Amino acid sequence: MTGGPGEPGGTCPTCGEPIGATDSFCESCGAELPPAIVSTASPGYTPECPVCSVDPSAPPGTISPDGYCESCGRRVPSGRDHAELDLGLLAGVTDRGLRHRRNEDAMALATAAAPAGQVAIAVVCDGVSSSPRPDEASLAAAQAAVRVLLTATRRGEDPAYSSQAAVSAAYRALTTLGSPGQAPSATYVSTVVTGDAVTVCWLGDSRAYWLPATGGDGATRLTQDDSVAEQLVARGAMGEAEAMASPQAHVITRWLGADLADPEPHVTRFEPPGPGVVLTCSDGLWNYRSEATGLAELALPAALSDPLGAAASLVKFALDAGGVDNITVVLIPFPPAGSATLPRRVQP
Amino acid sequence: MTVSGFTVDVDQNLYVPEGGRDVSAIVTVASAANATGFSSPGPATGPTANAELILIDCSGSMEYPHTKITEAQAATAAAVDVIRDGTWFAVIAGTNLAWPVFPPDGTMAVADPASRAAAKQAVAGLRAGGGTAIGQWLGLARQIFAAYPARLRHAILLTDGKNQHETAEQLAAAIGQCEGVFSCDCRGVGTDWEVSELRRISTALLGSVDIVPDPSGLAADFATMMQNAMGKQVADVALRVWTPQHAAVAFVKQVAPAVDDLTSRRTSRSPQAGDYPTGAWGPGESRDYHVGIQVTPAGIGQEMLAARVSLVASSPAGEDVLGQGLVRAIWTDDEALSTKINLRVAHYTGQAELAGAIQEGLEARKQGDEETATAKLGRAVALAHQSGNEDTARLLAKVVDVVDVSTGTVRLKRQVEDADEMALDTRSTKTVRATK
Repeated sequence: MTGGPGEPGGTCPTCGEPIGATDSFCESCGAELPPAIVSTASPGYTPECPVCSVDPSAPPGTISPDGYCESCGRRVPSGRDHAELDLGLLAGVTDRGLRHRRNEDAMALATAAAPAGQVAIAVVCDGVSSSPRPDEASLAAAQAAVRVLLTATRRGEDPAYSSQAAVSAAYRALTTLGSPGQAPSATYVSTVVTGDAVTVCWLGDSRAYWLPATGGDGATRLTQDDSVAEQLVARGAMGEAEAMASPQAHVITRWLGADLADPEPHVTRFEPPGPGVVLTCSDGLWNYRSEATGLAELALPAALSDPLGAAASLVKFALDAGGVDNITVVLIPFPPAGSATLPRRVQP
Repeated sequence: MTVSGFTVDVDQNLYVPEGGRDVSAIVTVASAANATGFSSPGPATGPTANAELILIDCSGSMEYPHTKITEAQAATAAAVDVIRDGTWFAVIAGTNLAWPVFPPDGTMAVADPASRAAAKQAVAGLRAGGGTAIGQWLGLARQIFAAYPARLRHAILLTDGKNQHETAEQLAAAIGQCEGVFSCDCRGVGTDWEVSELRRISTALLGSVDIVPDPSGLAADFATMMQNAMGKQVADVALRVWTPQHAAVAFVKQVAPAVDDLTSRRTSRSPQAGDYPTGAWGPGESRDYHVGIQVTPAGIGQEMLAARVSLVASSPAGEDVLGQGLVRAIWTDDEALSTKINLRVAHYTGQAELAGAIQEGLEARKQGDEETATAKLGRAVALAHQSGNEDTARLLAKVVDVVDVSTGTVRLKRQVEDADEMALDTRSTKTVRATK
């Protein structure tokens, strides 16, 4: 759980003095501490219609609560429909896709200067469409989790341990959002990338991949879906292609929500053999290319030097392929060598 | 009164080809069996009570055969028997004039055992004689209803003949004045009445129309109609259709349980919204509407709200939005998406064509245009077969000999019972439900 003010939170990367876990600035030198940034920090729709506002003949239109121009009927962009986040060490892009009315994915990114060096943190959650308010669930889970991960990382805590603590915090956030009978739910995947390892923690079918700079063979998926399809493949009942084409392909067997009493996340630690990129994504991307080698071909080499541009390209690839689901892509070059920059929100 | 328990669902193909203007959707409106606002079918007299009128034809032809008038009296008695305590009610007799039968002073009585018995006694004393001027009957009904602030006003109209003693214009004017005042279910007994005439009334007054070929069937039919009316508890429900600037509503049709084109029934509510009447609702009902909108095309990948369809209940206390559904459009260059046919839209397009083909076919047959009649009724046979509308297929088979059901090849029967032809005509609008 996040600490209160004054609770120890590690040391300032600029002056080395201790800082509070929830501090935004170093009390000693005044340096701004990079906060976590969430894809949906600015929800809501644009206040005026982008079409009618530039059409002199159109009457002034207001925007309906569900996001349509009251004059021309066009759907107006929501802060959540498309968001691009760039923290330097890592970058992510999330998009509503072409079929869904809203983006129920959420991502939260953070960087931290841990005692052992720079750390990149990403959380991706995909709201479960069959649950109530899945958009709120994914946002609440990602927000709660990234806070815990950031604080724990600044303190230099073990990523595997803090990843579990982050899931507990996300779970608590969802239990306050609903009840076992009315449980807003989401999938969950977090990646914590330090100078020597990648720690992945997940529930559901959002995924993480390792894409080595050398491309091709070393590319590997770091997660196993909690899904009916994956179980069929694991049991040898079906091949992957056949399982993914089956009607139950996207039926997930674990998730985060008030209706699941005891979330038991998977945690895995992976030590990359060399430089590369960690890809964290929702099924909106991997629906269209699920093998690690194929994703490596799409993402590399751009992702090594321009994670934001490469993430945007992967999202565009999924949109061009049909964009049936919401799409979220986060890329973290390994090792996280670049210095952490202050977050900036990139205008689409 | 706050009413909840209504749902509005929209079924459509979201995708429109580049430059496409036409957006079409099936809107399903349903009331829950245990919806609140339905929970207390209050017997209380007052603004929450219903008002019921029975209009019974007493023209001279009702004596031929005599069973027509006696069965009509028995049917009226059967309907009176199921009027719930506390309901306002009255009975009107109609010839070329109209007069109140019960209460005889042109008021409405509050239903209780004594008033029901008195009404039946008054009805039993009716004698047939005179002409038929249905506009007069409707006018008197309107006057009587207007004096009572009922929540719901409903009438049952029975005739056995054509509207001979006034002009079509007079009838049309009377119908127009009754629109929005009360709803009316129409029944024709025997085969000497005009289907199109009664359909004009039932359509305008949001009721049903049917034939009762044999007078002995009247009592059961009247009791059922009155029972249905007793179940209605939410009056004056409208579909409010909002559309974007530069868009037009191409049509709004009820398509299940029967086809009823509401397009011309629009009442403008704001520059971009209009109301289409759906009449009264009881619990556990479900109706489908086909809504067609023409919009100004937007760019590829853009989404537009083509229509916001709200279910609005009006009462003297104000308006209540009971539910809402969105008809959307997304422009795409993916033909696989934009050409995908929504099965329910296709089904109901076929059902509306079926109703039209039957009515046009029967009209052509009446005019002696056998070629058109054969083509239209043949098309109807094929459509009824394809859509599984077995009731309509059975009625069609009494009017044409079916040679090949799949291609709709038929021959007109030489001998057709009037009752069969009229049953086909009145029931041509009945549709079968498209499942989701």
